[in-house]
Amino acid sequence: MTRATPPHTGAQLRDWTVASLFALVVALAVFVGHRNHALRARQLELADRAAAEIALGRPPIAEAEAAGIVGAPHPSATHPFLHPRTVTGPTGTRPLGGPSAPAVDKLLYDAAERYDARGPFVELASDGSGHAIAARPGTGGVAVAVIAPESPEGMPWLIILGALGLGAVIAAAGALIGGAARPLGLAIGGALLAIPANGWGGMGATISIVCASLAVTIASGRGTLARAFAGFRTHRVAIAFLAPASLAMFVLVATPFCVGLVLGFFDHQHGQWSFVGLSNFGEILSGGGRAFDDPLNFWFILGVTVVWTAANVFLHVTIGVALAMLLRQAWLPGKGVWRMLLILPWAIPNYITALIWKGMFQGEYGAINALLHAAGLDGVSWFSSWATAFSANVVTNTWLGFPFMMVVAIGALESVPRDFYEAAVVDGATPWQRFIHITLPHLKPALGPAVVLGSIWTFNMFNVIYLVSAGKPGGSTDILVTDAYRWAFERGERYGMAAAYGAIIFLVLLLWTVFGSRIGRREDKS
Amino acid sequence: MIRAPAIGTSAAGGRWLARLIAVLAIVLGLIGCGSSPDGIVLWHAYSGAEREALETLAAEWNSAHPDAPLTLVAVPYDAFADKITSAVPNGNGPDLFVYSHDRIGDWAAAGVIEPIAFWVDDPTADRFQPAALSAMVYDGELWGLPLAVKCLALFYRTDRVTAPPRTTDELFAMVPASRARGAYPLAYVSADLYGHAPWLSGFGGSVLDEHGAVKVATAEAAAALAFSKKLITSGVIPAESTGPLVGTLFNEGKIDMAIQGPWFVGDIAPGVPWAVTTLPIVSETGRPASPFLSAEGVLMSARAHDKQGAFAVMQFLASDHAAVLRATRAHQIVANVHAYDDATLAADPVQRGFRAQLAHAIPIPATPAMRTVWTPYASALAKVQTSDTAPADALYDLESELRRYAQTPDGAR
Amino acid sequence: MKRPRLYLQLLTYAALVVAAAVVLYPVLLVVKKAFEPGRQFALSASPIPTTLTTEHFADLFGARGGHGELLFLHHAWNSLVAAILTTIVGVSLSCTAAYALSRMRFPGHKAGLITFLVVQMFPATLLIMPLYVLLDRLGLLNSMVGLVLVYATTAIPFCVWTLKGYFDSLPRELEEAARMDGAGAWQTFWRVMLPLARPGIAVTALFSFMTAWNEFIMASTFLTDDSRYTLPVLIQSSVGQYSSDWGFFAAGAIVTSLPVMALFYVLQKFLVGGLTAGSVKG
Repeated sequence: MTRATPPHTGAQLRDWTVASLFALVVALAVFVGHRNHALRARQLELADRAAAEIALGRPPIAEAEAAGIVGAPHPSATHPFLHPRTVTGPTGTRPLGGPSAPAVDKLLYDAAERYDARGPFVELASDGSGHAIAARPGTGGVAVAVIAPESPEGMPWLIILGALGLGAVIAAAGALIGGAARPLGLAIGGALLAIPANGWGGMGATISIVCASLAVTIASGRGTLARAFAGFRTHRVAIAFLAPASLAMFVLVATPFCVGLVLGFFDHQHGQWSFVGLSNFGEILSGGGRAFDDPLNFWFILGVTVVWTAANVFLHVTIGVALAMLLRQAWLPGKGVWRMLLILPWAIPNYITALIWKGMFQGEYGAINALLHAAGLDGVSWFSSWATAFSANVVTNTWLGFPFMMVVAIGALESVPRDFYEAAVVDGATPWQRFIHITLPHLKPALGPAVVLGSIWTFNMFNVIYLVSAGKPGGSTDILVTDAYRWAFERGERYGMAAAYGAIIFLVLLLWTVFGSRIGRREDKS
Repeated sequence: MIRAPAIGTSAAGGRWLARLIAVLAIVLGLIGCGSSPDGIVLWHAYSGAEREALETLAAEWNSAHPDAPLTLVAVPYDAFADKITSAVPNGNGPDLFVYSHDRIGDWAAAGVIEPIAFWVDDPTADRFQPAALSAMVYDGELWGLPLAVKCLALFYRTDRVTAPPRTTDELFAMVPASRARGAYPLAYVSADLYGHAPWLSGFGGSVLDEHGAVKVATAEAAAALAFSKKLITSGVIPAESTGPLVGTLFNEGKIDMAIQGPWFVGDIAPGVPWAVTTLPIVSETGRPASPFLSAEGVLMSARAHDKQGAFAVMQFLASDHAAVLRATRAHQIVANVHAYDDATLAADPVQRGFRAQLAHAIPIPATPAMRTVWTPYASALAKVQTSDTAPADALYDLESELRRYAQTPDGAR
Repeated sequence: MKRPRLYLQLLTYAALVVAAAVVLYPVLLVVKKAFEPGRQFALSASPIPTTLTTEHFADLFGARGGHGELLFLHHAWNSLVAAILTTIVGVSLSCTAAYALSRMRFPGHKAGLITFLVVQMFPATLLIMPLYVLLDRLGLLNSMVGLVLVYATTAIPFCVWTLKGYFDSLPRELEEAARMDGAGAWQTFWRVMLPLARPGIAVTALFSFMTAWNEFIMASTFLTDDSRYTLPVLIQSSVGQYSSDWGFFAAGAIVTSLPVMALFYVLQKFLVGGLTAGSVKG
């Protein structure tokens, strides 16, 4: 193990930066928490005091925006849901309410309503405006006081910058002096923010900053930090190339993704969230207490989804590759026109085309049945049996999806040099052999990702199922994602169940991908 | 042979990339982040004539109140309710929005909307029809002011039907003549609870019991389901139909009558003679077929920053003057009683027909439980209509399914 | 060029004609609805309109907003900006990432590749609400920046994987030759590898453009100011709760698909250019 290089100031400051970044984050976080807490406490205390004064019949304190004794409601004779009240203040009694009543009066009214329902309270207004409201019993009604919102104090930039500056100076001085002063300077310089943080966040914040600073000092002494930075330098090109995409993905995709996963452990009903652990997952995976061939059983829906994905991907790739190969023939005139025509299903918004396909599958008036009649066959009631409804979905999705595979295949086929074919023809290879041994291997690198991603998208294809068959008959053509959607939006906003469903879908796809890549690797090896 | 690239260090390329990213960042930054307009923001899902009427009203308000402008935002209907539910609690929603009353229960429970009884006095409340106003009441609180009401009624082609059927027996009697012409007497969205509701209530059934709990497996509901199947097997209605299809069939003469709402007026092709009347009486029970009533109202967000100003706008939009404008321009069946003091408006055939039907319309229950019923009930309807499933069995399955959705995870109800 | 036997030519034409007919029929129904009067679809299965009218296009182009502004132009412009920015951001972020993942070896490169794949697996329809809250916290709600970033991150996984596939298929000798000529990593990437991956870039550019251009759900959820709406939102506004104006929607659908067709027409050159324009021999 190599020891750290001889001390010099640059490395010291670099290490100090690492320590103080952590300290800065902690300090800012505890400051914001402290500030909000202090503000809230102050507002609530004022409100409580103001309400107490009012209850004792004394005039309202200066900070109160509105205060008074609110009387009992007098429900209107004709409209029982109208129950106006009055408020008594130092200037006398006046009515609360009416079309031109000021908004702050409503806070008094709502406070009295809430008092009648749930008893005395001191709280911040729930509309997020920052008002503090207190209600307690008073003579002749409810004593209510409303304190105006106050803006919180600003960030203590001076203190923070001062601490950081001083810390940098100490760390640099320690490096210049050398010897034992170096780690000492780093530890102290990195932990200076602990002093103001103590005032904001107490011992917890102080200890965490000091510990972090000590950890960085130890790491610096052992050379860990130097090695990490060296590693970054070595791979800096790769990191620079990867960083933008990774950052965007991490923030905008990973975060909602994690939230989605976590929500699966909660239940949401009637606007209330409650932690239920694995209960949602249990409910889903046990099939909801229904038979395996019941459309509401998770395993049935999973089976339908797997068949749906397999059928679609097979058809998309086959048709896409076949058309790409047809269009590749050198003698064919007007290839550009054919390509433009065949890409139309992808170009037109799929909402209207999916609904047109649904109309085409209508039992009595649809075009498909008209075609069948013209051919002398009986019409089919497409949406009354599983097989026909499923086929209608597959036909629509294939129509919508094959252009994408075709375009990818066209691009992929371009990577096959033509002289390979000529050489193969000279060697006497049949068209099928040429396809298997020349075309397919060249298609794989570019078509592979499209197939993998395409199957993930098909697995989660919501639009077509929802618009065309809408799950008919009886929810049996629903796939996992439409069932999850129904939990979220049609069964009482059960977002927890929907999130659990999403997590399960994710796990299924993950297992399938891992499995598939293992098999693929084994094939490549053999 | 590859043309030799210019010799340079990777730093040069790295600088180029950094410059590109910086430029992009500046451009994107300039395009700007969101800013909220001042004044009152109102979201709606109107299109066509209703939207124009609302915009006319907004223009009137803005010229009278230049210091408190009203901004309308049209939000597509599909995304509307979810946007409200996610935007308002985060403080990003509108101050007011226009929506039908059946979500009031959900939103009230979630603290998304503000009870407005504080600002409403008796004279204000007396302006509205009692049924429409009571649709805006949930849990003893008033949550909005009603603007218009919608329900289904019977549209018929006057060139095919001289006397619309007054009872369902008369409806069945129309079948031979219509079929001889290659048409059906009637069409409506049959595999949907909203379309089926008139028959359900005509047979004395309902979806919720008197305590507001879901109770669908009743003998009356089964009779209504059997009736809807009989409509298909007797050739009264086509086997499957959707809203757009009903419009198409009506315009092309493939059906003589349609059960549709006020929105249907805009769908009827010019040149098709039509009239609207009330739904028939169910012969088996003697009760009128009563459709669901949906009251569209303006609701206030719980996070509106100027609630008093917002209520002033609500008052204006629900005023008698605004109601007359909405009724004449947008053919809305307005909730204001005095709007119909105007003789021409009262005599308008669409207004008259729907107002007659409103006397027999049942407000959609605004309880959250009701919203879980629509899709599974449609499933049950489809199952009964397209297969041999017995109505009682389908309803029994439906009820156990609905009970499952209402279950809290620890098994308690 | 050597022509194959007649029956093979006929077979090719027959297959292409059948495919085109299947593709075109629903499209022609949309076109027919755009040119026929009335809000509802006609019953007839024939794709030929019986009466012609331009009223739907007039409605589409003439739709005015609350302040009298022309909605179509506004929303089309927003859509164009969003789609172009998405394409630029998506393709540029993916190119560099794909090159790194294809050619460079660093700790965690396999995991990185799988991560791009894995994050696609959670159904997007369920992520709209958490994403809404996240964008709100970042201050990106109701803004073009937020929308473009969301679209780009939706498109990136596919772009990274596809471009990686293209880079994988390019021989390493090219880079060794470039390095011997004194080019650094960036120069090699920019001057040598990128031009050879043109088909891959064409596919990913088209894909990114279309992800942004036709997308409706996220645009209508994340934009709250109707002057920032994109074109699909305008078109979707014709779909009401109870009834829809299908003529308007059909006209909108046709107009919306024209830029995509134009883009594909332009990109076709790059798609089929490939190595024939390059210099692999020797």
